[in-house]
Amino acid sequence: MSPAPPPSSSNPPLIELREAVKTYVSAAGSFTALKGVSLTVQAGEFLGILGKSGAGKSTLLNMITGVDHLTSGEVIVQTNGRAVSVHELDENDLALWRGRTLGVIFQSFQLLPMLTLVQNVMLPMDLCGLYRPRESRQRALELLEMVELEDHAYKLPTFISGGQQQRVAIARALANDPPVIVADEPTGSLDSVTADNIFDLFERLVETGKTILMVTHDHGLMPRFSRYLRIADGELVTEEANA
Amino acid sequence: MRPRWRKVLSDLVDNIARTILVVSSIAVGVLAVGVIAGAYVIISNDMSAGYAASHPANIEIRMDDFDDDFLNAIQNFEGIANAEGRRVFGMRVRSVGGTQWTMLNIVAVQDFEEIEINQLTAIGETGALGKNEVIVDRDVLDKVDAQVGDVLEFQLSDGTIKRLQLVGTVRDPATNMDDFLAPPAAYITMSTLPALHQPENYNRVYAIVDSGQDDDTHIRAVATALKDKIEKSGHAVHSTWRSKTHEHPLAATVNAILGILMALGVLIVFLSSSLIANTLSALLNQHLRHIGVMKLVGARDRQIFGMYLALILSFSALALLIAVPLGGQGAYALARYTADEMSFSLQGYRIVPIALVIQIAIGLLVPLVAGFVPIINGSRVTVLKAISGNLVQGTGDQAEGGAKRESRLERLQLRFTQMLNRRGIQIPRPLLISLRNTFRRRGRLALTLFTLTMGGAIFISVFNVRVTLHDYINAIGNYFLADVTLDFDRPYRLNEVKQYAAQVPGVVTVEGWAFANAEILYPDGSTADNMSILAPPAESELVSPILVAGRWLHPDDKKKLAVSDAILDLFPDLRVGDNLTLRINRQDEAWQVVGIFKFVGSQRLLAYAPYEYISLDQNLANRAYSYYIVTERHDRPYQEMMAEKVDAFFRDNGFHLREAKPGLSTLDAAVESLDILVAFLLIMALLTATVGSMGLAGTMSMNVLERTREIGIMRAIGAVDREVMRMVIAEGMLIGLISWVLGALLSIPFTYLLATIVSLAVFSTPIEVIFTPTGFIIWMVLVVILSVLASALPARNAARLTIREVLAYE
Repeated sequence: MSPAPPPSSSNPPLIELREAVKTYVSAAGSFTALKGVSLTVQAGEFLGILGKSGAGKSTLLNMITGVDHLTSGEVIVQTNGRAVSVHELDENDLALWRGRTLGVIFQSFQLLPMLTLVQNVMLPMDLCGLYRPRESRQRALELLEMVELEDHAYKLPTFISGGQQQRVAIARALANDPPVIVADEPTGSLDSVTADNIFDLFERLVETGKTILMVTHDHGLMPRFSRYLRIADGELVTEEANA
Repeated sequence: MRPRWRKVLSDLVDNIARTILVVSSIAVGVLAVGVIAGAYVIISNDMSAGYAASHPANIEIRMDDFDDDFLNAIQNFEGIANAEGRRVFGMRVRSVGGTQWTMLNIVAVQDFEEIEINQLTAIGETGALGKNEVIVDRDVLDKVDAQVGDVLEFQLSDGTIKRLQLVGTVRDPATNMDDFLAPPAAYITMSTLPALHQPENYNRVYAIVDSGQDDDTHIRAVATALKDKIEKSGHAVHSTWRSKTHEHPLAATVNAILGILMALGVLIVFLSSSLIANTLSALLNQHLRHIGVMKLVGARDRQIFGMYLALILSFSALALLIAVPLGGQGAYALARYTADEMSFSLQGYRIVPIALVIQIAIGLLVPLVAGFVPIINGSRVTVLKAISGNLVQGTGDQAEGGAKRESRLERLQLRFTQMLNRRGIQIPRPLLISLRNTFRRRGRLALTLFTLTMGGAIFISVFNVRVTLHDYINAIGNYFLADVTLDFDRPYRLNEVKQYAAQVPGVVTVEGWAFANAEILYPDGSTADNMSILAPPAESELVSPILVAGRWLHPDDKKKLAVSDAILDLFPDLRVGDNLTLRINRQDEAWQVVGIFKFVGSQRLLAYAPYEYISLDQNLANRAYSYYIVTERHDRPYQEMMAEKVDAFFRDNGFHLREAKPGLSTLDAAVESLDILVAFLLIMALLTATVGSMGLAGTMSMNVLERTREIGIMRAIGAVDREVMRMVIAEGMLIGLISWVLGALLSIPFTYLLATIVSLAVFSTPIEVIFTPTGFIIWMVLVVILSVLASALPARNAARLTIREVLAYE
């Protein structure tokens, strides 16, 4: 295990994992998915996490988002100028913290099928209470405009394509204007042209100051990250920064 | 609308079938309780209010003939506020051209318009009652097949016929309320009496006391004093009856029955709550991914809880919207039906506030309580579990991130199948899958089985209770075993009647019976109650008593009697061998109780003493007014035919016959009343069965919905529509049959419980329980049909899905 520091950083890292271990116990025995991973992410990075299926990429992401809990170790995320120990938060605090701090994007989009696109984007604002209802609708429409879906704002998710649904998921991830976007195989279900468009969108978001962590098994995307790390069998094996 | 509430609205309207299922589950319970609670309040109030409004007599005295002067004396008696005299006698009536005679109580009143006590309620256009006109109780119209305006024929004691014009119908809310066996009444004026060969005298006193009209002790004191006065003036009193003004004589019985129905209503609520719990649990499972997404974007437990709470309250509101107005209407309809049957008036349609409050409370609380655990579980689910689709409950033992462990039940199934295999018995693979599927969601299965089992158990119990009640009535018929009973207007010699009867083909034996009316006296000399003493020959085969204690009659018994168990209400410490002080024909005598037997525990106290003694005591040795005939066959049609034949024969031979009636007809009124009760019970049983089948339908749809992907895979590997449907239907039928077995077992204690409660309410005594296969068989057929229907629709939907649709199912 060789935790490598990120390129030149004077500020404390935005995200820091210290000796993160995750072990699953089942009837078949125990299985360690993360074996003491340490990692830091600076604000403004576009970090790619690469690895084969079952390597521990999604588990790593789940530890950062607080979706799953560490067996041992620490996850610390700088939030509004203070360090939050994610692994110490309870489910309710986690939900609120996640809603305000992180935008999460999945391979399968995970839009609520009974809500229109604009309502899907408004949902995090409604739940976290950062925006008033009228304000949140306006903001949701602006976000949909940003992902070029304003014309479809009042459609249900089933009436748009997969690529469009993923763009809505990105808009939803940005709803509460979180500093960090976490994406788990966001282009995995999309054709290459659509995937490229989505990636362009991510790059534009990084340019606006967002920090993006993205899990993928597509090695072709490596050059487009500001930094990437490979994970295999629950351990970081390589970590490289692009110029 | 904010997105979260928009989602709640969508959950409500997007799956209409589910919403209908939940809403109707709530509504059925709310409706059942609303109807019963509303009816209970309306009936309790109006029954006694209606009774009081008819100015019921506090004292009714049946005595020998008296005139207006004597009535004046009674009216002026101390403690009496008002008194009226009437003449009441039995007579056979039929419509012109009719062949069937009906026995009626003819009630002659001085002025029909001026009745102040036991007031009648006119029905339809009922005008003044004049000479040679008659107004009948509304039940009479059906019995004699006549309409207002028709002419009725009255058979006089000499066999001649007198015709009277039928000018109206009435309802009598006060007279003979507690006498199931009393014949219906016809009303004439005193001026019509000579036409019917009756003297223009009264034979009954109806009196209202001037104070303490609801104080039985006071009423009894006045009645005793009045009776003494009547007897001292040389008149004979046959019997006296008492009643409070503001308490309907049957109020306690009706309230007890409504109480039983209420208990069943509460059970329906209970059952529907398990259905609601099941449906909400499935809904939460289906929404797990949605919950995960919401938590991922910031939703906290209480927000999720609030959303599903709002959903449940919406279900409740919809159910209340349906059930509350229907419940109000149903309550009034039930009250109206009861009022109609029991001849009292309602004070008009109204909303019963307490019923409304109960309905709203049940409609809101039951779904909340039923849904609380599923909602709490759903709102507390972690994002990881929710997103990964790991169901929170009832999935068997799923280790975190690991393989599903095989349950004990599954191991048992596997071993059973292997054992069958070794013996060369092959269970078809689809059936095996159905078997496995049945037990996959054990929590849901348990709730479904509970609902369906309870529904079935009550259904079967109601049939058993019906048979039990009928059996008891038949057992009561053991005191009326004759096939034809003959009542003469004058006593005839036993030998004479027997000789004549023997000439009628079909007659086997004849017995002459004597009767006496007695008053049971308390040690202080006041009247405790009236009692009829029936006096069959001691060796009579026409009475088959159910003895509770002591023995039956001996021919040489003198001043000894067997008395019905209702006597214990008056003298709880009475034992066989004790003496009762009876007043018979103004003589106070001590009679020894030699036996106590079981009988309908109404106010009708009954005793048996041997003919041999009573006939001598009444100076009627070897003579009798009443004769009991046994015929060759004992079925009702034969009895009716024989009654007509014997009637005609005796009249043709110059006997003054009052009435010849088939033996079983005595029980008609009692059976009719019980059938109404059983009908109510059956309606409640059907409601529980409905809730049960709704539960099964809901479970099957949820099971199929959750297995959509599996079904798709099976279709992808070659399962045809029929195969898919068969698997789903087999699963439904299996659940149905398991519930039948459990329901059949549970019906045994239920039958005992229900039969005991009903018999205590109706007969004031617990009765022997009888079981019938009818309920078991009908429920078996019904549950199989319900299971097939409940699973056929989900099965059809499952079979209709294309592979692409099911594999795309999220």
